[in-house]
Amino acid sequence: MDKPLKQDASIEDALKSQPLASMPRSITADVMARIQTVEAKRPAILTWSDFGLSFVIASCVAALWFTSQHLPPILLAKLRIQGILLYQDFLVNSRWLVPAAMFGLAAFLAAMTIPILIKMTIDRRR
Amino acid sequence: MDHEQSLIQRAQKGDQDAFASLVDEHQRYIYNLAFRVLKDENEALDLAQETFVRAWTALPNFRGQSQFRTWLYRIVTNLCYNRLPNLRRSLNDLGDDVIEEIPETKIDNPAHEFESGETRAHLYKAIDELGSNYKLLITLRYQHELSYEEIASTLNLPLGTIKTGIFRAKEQLRKSLAHLEESWISP
Repeated sequence: MDKPLKQDASIEDALKSQPLASMPRSITADVMARIQTVEAKRPAILTWSDFGLSFVIASCVAALWFTSQHLPPILLAKLRIQGILLYQDFLVNSRWLVPAAMFGLAAFLAAMTIPILIKMTIDRRR
Repeated sequence: MDHEQSLIQRAQKGDQDAFASLVDEHQRYIYNLAFRVLKDENEALDLAQETFVRAWTALPNFRGQSQFRTWLYRIVTNLCYNRLPNLRRSLNDLGDDVIEEIPETKIDNPAHEFESGETRAHLYKAIDELGSNYKLLITLRYQHELSYEEIASTLNLPLGTIKTGIFRAKEQLRKSLAHLEESWISP
């Protein structure tokens, strides 16, 4: 065997024969202890702040509904007129926003669903 | 493998005993990789623990597209990147100029290939002194017996970069061996 080949063989053998580093101790107990801590620290699915936020939103919706039920009829009529005027203004001056909003919504939905569909396809192939 | 698959499924459902068995089975390999790269026993132990804790947290997302051990290698490598910020860059900087297949020398009788235990010891030392990027590649290739494709997928690097890295690591070992042989000729 010529020298470079012999060298390569020595290197190859050294690489393959090098033993795994011996562990000073098993880490299983440490890992399991840390997992217990992680589990204990894991937050609940619903926290008190979630309940608080839900309560505030529900109160706002209820207040809005209550107010709308007790408005004077003249004020209701004025509000309705303002609403119609705003809608007409939108139809005349900002009609281009309709297709733009539709495309935006379509792009958003595509961005949400395409990765999930790709993942489902990959899972089905497996 | 079926046994491992059932352990993984049980662990995914929250069975900690099943996960402990998985830790028992794989810890040596994970520790070895961390130790080869970090060159520090305590850091390697710490990193191996962190790897399994993260694996536990991410286990529900493990879909079995790769082997469990390869998945663990990916986690431990990412943790190594965090500990050694230059490691990722040094791997990327390897480039991919070695694109041909790297021939692996077949050894019929390994014992005959070593002129002495000194050569083997010298090569082991030279392997230990390689840079962390080379150590990572050759450990995955030769000690953990991953294919080039598996290493590329684990490290998320081009196949050419993996081949280049291993080729250069061997070049360094060849130079080191040549130095040793020169020292025999001219004492």
